[in-house]
Amino acid sequence: MGLLDKLSVWLGRGRAEVTVLVLGLDNSGKSTLLQALRPPDARAPPQHAAPTVGQTQEHFTSGGVAFSAWDVSGAPRHRALWERHYRRAHAVIFVVDSADHLRLVVAREELELLLAHPDMFGRRVPLLVFANKHDAPHALAPMQVAAALGLERITDKPWHICASCALSGAGLADGVAWLARQLRDAHLPHAHT
Amino acid sequence: MTRWLDVEVGTDDIDLNTLPQNLALLDLHNDNEFKLLIGDFGRGEDGPKLKVFKGAMQISDTVLPDLPLGVVGFYISETVPRSVPIIAVAYSSCVFMYRNLKLFYKYYLPSIELSMCEMEVWKQLTNPINHNIDAIKPLIDSLKAIPHETLTPQSQDILTLTPEQRLEYLENNAELPSRNNAEIVCINTLKMHSIDKYSVSCVVIATEDGDVILLEPQTFSQLCQAKICGVKKTPFQMITTGLYSVDYRITIATREKSVCILKRDWPEGRILFNTDDHIIAIEVITADSSVMVICADHSMACYSKKGKKQWCLTLEHRPVAMTLVPVLHLGVTLTGVALASGHVHLYDGKARRDTVFVRGGCVGVGARASVRWQGAEGHCVCERCLTVEHHDASASGSPGVTLTGVALASGHVHLYDGKARRDTVFVRDVVSVMKFGQLGQEEHVLIIITGGGNLMLKILKRTADFSAHAAGVEMAPSALTGQKPWLIPKKSKLFLEQSVRERENATLMHKTFQHELNRLRLLAATTLLEAHKKSDNSVGIGPMESMRLTAEVEGLGPVFRVTLMIENNSKDKAVIGLSILFHVHTVNYKVSNPYIKVPLLSPGGKLKFPTKIEEVFDDNISPDVLFRPVTGQGGERSLIKVLLLKEGKKTPVLAATVQMPPTDPMMLPFDKMQAIAGIEEKEDSNWTNKT
Repeated sequence: MGLLDKLSVWLGRGRAEVTVLVLGLDNSGKSTLLQALRPPDARAPPQHAAPTVGQTQEHFTSGGVAFSAWDVSGAPRHRALWERHYRRAHAVIFVVDSADHLRLVVAREELELLLAHPDMFGRRVPLLVFANKHDAPHALAPMQVAAALGLERITDKPWHICASCALSGAGLADGVAWLARQLRDAHLPHAHT
Repeated sequence: MTRWLDVEVGTDDIDLNTLPQNLALLDLHNDNEFKLLIGDFGRGEDGPKLKVFKGAMQISDTVLPDLPLGVVGFYISETVPRSVPIIAVAYSSCVFMYRNLKLFYKYYLPSIELSMCEMEVWKQLTNPINHNIDAIKPLIDSLKAIPHETLTPQSQDILTLTPEQRLEYLENNAELPSRNNAEIVCINTLKMHSIDKYSVSCVVIATEDGDVILLEPQTFSQLCQAKICGVKKTPFQMITTGLYSVDYRITIATREKSVCILKRDWPEGRILFNTDDHIIAIEVITADSSVMVICADHSMACYSKKGKKQWCLTLEHRPVAMTLVPVLHLGVTLTGVALASGHVHLYDGKARRDTVFVRGGCVGVGARASVRWQGAEGHCVCERCLTVEHHDASASGSPGVTLTGVALASGHVHLYDGKARRDTVFVRDVVSVMKFGQLGQEEHVLIIITGGGNLMLKILKRTADFSAHAAGVEMAPSALTGQKPWLIPKKSKLFLEQSVRERENATLMHKTFQHELNRLRLLAATTLLEAHKKSDNSVGIGPMESMRLTAEVEGLGPVFRVTLMIENNSKDKAVIGLSILFHVHTVNYKVSNPYIKVPLLSPGGKLKFPTKIEEVFDDNISPDVLFRPVTGQGGERSLIKVLLLKEGKKTPVLAATVQMPPTDPMMLPFDKMQAIAGIEEKEDSNWTNKT
């Protein structure tokens, strides 16, 4: 755990907000997923999501943990910017389009690059994988996605995969609750009991 | 470290048999998800089909009326939102246009009018009165008089027959020859006004007779028509660059070992260059319009847009297919060449950057490996396995056997009965068609269809680097064997003048040089002699070579501290029996300890001996002495010799001369100064008692 993390835990005891990084290939549904996680009153009317450029920040609360989520663009030319956020991330949400069979290998490659990065390697950062668009035709089951991404080989981080549908919000609460539990145990032992 | 990600393709029912021109990448449903369209010839009783792949998954299958000769996709309008693209599929002499995979327009090539003479002859031939050998003969002769190329296929046929067969032929089909339709050989598109990905394009068709026809995108009427070349050439591959309304080039590979070029407003193209052997494929690099050619003689060559040969490589095996691999974010356009050995090489210019090995269809066979053989019936579930015959044989010998086929990454397929291996088959698969472009949402996908009918997809990694140092591929053989020409700079004017001068005044130059050399030698000898005379050397010679003596002078005067340092640089020898002797004129200096015995000096050791030396002033001292550094006239007076002696040796081992600095006048006792200044004073000897 870096100094910054300790500092944020120490400073953030009152606020109790953790930084979570939302990553994934373009068109995997990151922005839509975060839209669905917002509190219902703050939710924008449903519309056709335009591709994110750069990054945007979203706030939501789950399981007594306040999340500050960074939604980073997944376009190929912007993927090189992901690593700028690694250092300050307490958790990573990796979104995969489970209906896009072609690009599962690309998602796997990006995930491997993420896990091997010096700012990530060896840190106990919880990794939550959303097998998104599970309602789409020909969508793979979460276990198949996990196998395709090679998740079973991750040893230095707790990980969890769950099927989701960002448009309807199905499966999101389940995954985020797991993440909140992990973060509460690891980072905020005094905030909530 | 590979630069490609392999996509697993479920290949159970993918069996492709196609040609490079029948592949198209198209945003078919306007959802920014590019589909792969393949005009498939089919195998066996399966007819030709248009197959659409989303990623690695086949999503649609349309039966085609004839064998497809080319599949292209293009846009016919620039409305917002975008209209769906049109698919044009070329058949023998017509082009069918499909929208949303529904046929909506058929274009037929203009028919060629029959010559009047031929028609006249045929009218007589079809007349039953003329149906005897004698009557036919003059008619056939008049047919022979007409140039052979312009004849209809029917006339050409009848000329090849014997007189009896001709008679029989005429009695059976007494018809006038039908219209002569040209055959399409290749089809392509050309952007009309803008190079944008979704801009309007027109269809370009090349025919067997060497005509190139451009079709208007809205009405599909003929925009213009041109011959590819003055002489008869048969095109087989056509590449378009540029814009119709600005300037365009159509580069055409022909079956007659030549590449032709057709530009805007030319009624007839011309030959760009000829090759030594049959052309297998061409590609045009958009940046400089240079043409890449692979030929049947294992050569890969690059020609400039003027048709000048830039370079030529000899490939290890026969090339099979070629595709351009533009990687825009790296700023390179690579050329992918597939060889008959199963390798795909990527070249940047003539430098090889990457090699991909298409392993014996491991993707396809691997997926099929789990197919269980139904031994009792003696046939396998998978019809397309290469081992069917073999399997039948073994199964009939022992009914009820269920063999398991396991495909290995090396391209071998092992057949197991339980745990006993029954047979090994080596599946060698080579590329038959290759295309690079956007598929799905991934921009850099290399699509390979192997000879065995498998589909392979390879995605270029985001982090891939094709620069020379990162390529990791061995250097081109030409660079290794040193065939690369030396970089010799051009002879400058200065160089030429100098060489002329040298040639003219050679004797004088030699003399001057020798003269200078002798002077240098003399100078060196004089210096050596002088050093010998003074025996002034702080570095020892002979066995005492490793000794060094240095001196350091500190103080303002008249008492100085001279520190002598003796070093033994030898690595393994100690020195014993040394002593130091100061050699000074007693009138000028007084040394507190003129003889010092040096203890044993260990190898690499260093000893310091501080000694006090006092300058002595007599009464009639010249003021010059005090201003030595200013006047430079200290002379012999200010020198101290230090000798390093060794027991039992007559000559000193080392000698050093120390130039003493002048005493600061301010440090002299006042009365002495008075005396020096010439004021009559009693001599005071106080100062001499100083230590």
